[in-house]
Amino acid sequence: MKKINAVITLLLLGGILLGLAVADICTPDRLFSEYENRILASKPDFSLKDLFDGSYTEDYETYVTDQFVERDRWIFIKTMTDVLLGKKEINGVYLAKDKTLIEKHVPEDIKPEVVAQRLALLQRLVEWQEGRENGALHIMLVPTADNILTDMLPDHAAYYEQQELLEQVQETAGSCAIDVTDSLQSHREEYIYYGTDHHWTTRGAYYGYLAWAETVGVTPVSYDVLTVSSDFLGTLHSKTNLPVKPDTMEAYLPVVLREAQGSSTSDGGVMQVFYDFSEESRDSLYEEKYLETKNKYGYFLDDNHPFIRIETGAQDPAAKGKKLFVIKDSYANCFIPFLTEHYETIYVLDLRYYKAPLFSLLEECSEEGNLDILVLYNVIHFIEEFQYY
Amino acid sequence: MVFSSILFLFRFLPAFLILYFVVPKRARNLVLFLGSLVFYAWGEPVYVVLMLFSTLSDYIHGRLIARYRGKRAATCFLISSVVINLGLLGFFKYSGLNLPLPIGISFYTFQTMSYTIDVYRGEVEAQKNILDFGVFVAMFPQLIAGPIVKYKVVAKELRTRHASLEDMAEGAGRFIIGLGKKVLLANNIGQLFVEAAGTAQENLSLLMAWLSILAYAFQIYFDFSGYSDMAIGLGRIMGFHFPENFNYPYTAVSVTDFWRRWHMSLSSWFREYVYIPLGGNRKGLKRQLLNIVIVWSLTGIWHGAGWNFLLWGMWFAVFLILEKVILGKTLANLPKFAGWIYTMAVVLVSWCFFSLEKTDTIILFLKSMFGIGGAGLANQEAWYMLGNYAVLLVILAIGALPLGKKAVEWIKVRCAKGTKAGPVPAVCLGIAEKLFFVAVLLLSIANIVDASYNPFLYFRF
Repeated sequence: MKKINAVITLLLLGGILLGLAVADICTPDRLFSEYENRILASKPDFSLKDLFDGSYTEDYETYVTDQFVERDRWIFIKTMTDVLLGKKEINGVYLAKDKTLIEKHVPEDIKPEVVAQRLALLQRLVEWQEGRENGALHIMLVPTADNILTDMLPDHAAYYEQQELLEQVQETAGSCAIDVTDSLQSHREEYIYYGTDHHWTTRGAYYGYLAWAETVGVTPVSYDVLTVSSDFLGTLHSKTNLPVKPDTMEAYLPVVLREAQGSSTSDGGVMQVFYDFSEESRDSLYEEKYLETKNKYGYFLDDNHPFIRIETGAQDPAAKGKKLFVIKDSYANCFIPFLTEHYETIYVLDLRYYKAPLFSLLEECSEEGNLDILVLYNVIHFIEEFQYY
Repeated sequence: MVFSSILFLFRFLPAFLILYFVVPKRARNLVLFLGSLVFYAWGEPVYVVLMLFSTLSDYIHGRLIARYRGKRAATCFLISSVVINLGLLGFFKYSGLNLPLPIGISFYTFQTMSYTIDVYRGEVEAQKNILDFGVFVAMFPQLIAGPIVKYKVVAKELRTRHASLEDMAEGAGRFIIGLGKKVLLANNIGQLFVEAAGTAQENLSLLMAWLSILAYAFQIYFDFSGYSDMAIGLGRIMGFHFPENFNYPYTAVSVTDFWRRWHMSLSSWFREYVYIPLGGNRKGLKRQLLNIVIVWSLTGIWHGAGWNFLLWGMWFAVFLILEKVILGKTLANLPKFAGWIYTMAVVLVSWCFFSLEKTDTIILFLKSMFGIGGAGLANQEAWYMLGNYAVLLVILAIGALPLGKKAVEWIKVRCAKGTKAGPVPAVCLGIAEKLFFVAVLLLSIANIVDASYNPFLYFRF
């Protein structure tokens, strides 16, 4: 009896080790992991030098671990055990109370000297603006989900309070600053942030647009809402790989513009979108092809481009001849479509890719000072990315 | 190579075990020796030469000591052996030359010293077969993190050993338990310590300080005892019987008791080769107290060159002496629970010295532990950590205090007695045990694959 018991234990444990070892060796190597969104380590080349300095054995271990059979499934098991153990966050993402995901930003990660540097750059922009005779400047910083949906965060979870920074921006920019916090706060029960992605939803952007319109002094346009995807699993899902409810993605189409989509408007204007100084234009702000991929947010403004020029073909006479220059992050991608009825031309610049002097580009784009400027970021991206020369 | 890696579990171990058991019995030591060299050289392609040198040196010293036994020359050779071993250890560990520490050097030099000393004392025969001696030094199960196996304990098994199927199954189970302790428990609670250590000092509240030192206490225990379990288990599969290294140290009811339960192979080494030769407790109380100070200073610096390790050793020496002189009688009259609280307080504070290394960090940390730090009794960060790790901490306590072990024993007794419906067949227990092993193994694999976080704490020593 005891012997049988021992044999069973040995067969079971030995079988698992040997079985997995054989399965692992027989499984072909993968180049890329969709699950982790990265290139997996491949077999290192052998050299005596690498062997003796230890880098060969180290790379080989990384290779074996990266290529281990059913790697994704093992990681999933570990994540699920973490959830069962009551972990409140995974890979820097909070598991919110309503079963959604919220990106974690802790105060320790925000360096005061960086914040000061960003504010100084903003100050320079404001001073430059004061020297101009025409054209308005507006600064719109959007708080991230943790600051609006605070009561959804796990109990006692730390988050970076963005209000102080927004007040500093208010001080620096004065009447140029657009407050969207209040607007988002008052609609916090609605679907304004994605549950699986770090962006705001198009509805969130719409409330941002209302705040913008109020400050700028234009009448908001009315929209038809079109659901473009109902199985969006965004960046936060990628970080955690938890089974969560997919997001719904919407496009807000101006009632007037919808007729014009892809065709001539009543007065002959056509929507033309020029990406990265290209001569060729496209006739829509939306790119359907992304809806078939994991990166569905790329649907708005064709993902990330350094520079975009949009000839809106706006029908509103008030928009005639008006130009806007947007300095932005990816939060702006679903926001910019709201602006097309109010400007004839919109320039869009992503500072991450632009290393030349900003002010000369602004001068170049303006005709006799006729150029409004909008700085649009979420607060975290502003701290991380707002950098110009 | 570390045991808790995909490479070890799914390449080295299956290949090694198959080879080991298919070759004829007389070739097994050769397979074990060569396998161990591959295992060691994988992480230390250069220092493997050092280990071979140490092996050869002590093999020759052993032979010479045996040949001149009883003569002055034997003493000279013993001194030479000890000087070479301590020289190696001192050069790489304490010279301050900033050389990377050869893995396991603190363990294998102590093992080989036990050999030459015992040959000198005439307690064991000198080993004539250099392969058998090589196996003793290089054997991969305990090579890099102990337990420190004295030569005389395994002398017979180096030549002839037998592992029954029951032995092998027990060894395999022991290995899985050790793997789980290291990968599922130590590594996961280690993250709490890392996160807590990352919080700014001014955010370190009393609760946070205790949580993080408790996390460290659990981490170091499950890490180290898990590694010992894996070593003992692997040895058992091959027919070796290594000494136990831990006996539920966190149930100790005095500091003296703690040191009978913590890293037992190290304390037994110091007792046998330092404390007793110095006179132990046979030369009066004053001498005994001095001996305690000497042994625990050495125990401290064995763990590292930093002064904090010396302080750590001395901290224990103080309480051991207090217990010898006055506290012992008081503790005996108090309820065990009081002794346990006192011991745990001493041990947890000791882990501050052990883990934090820098003086000002230690002082600030201790202040927080006693509620005179900047962040008060508890803050948001601490409550959040507690919420995040509460379930794991309960599991750790069940494992360390052996509530789990007691529960299993209780169930076994109940099953043997049977229920009203009749006795519970042993098969049920057998199935439950196997399911447990399989679950631990699979979860461990999941954790290893998931984690790039896999540092092994005892490599530094």
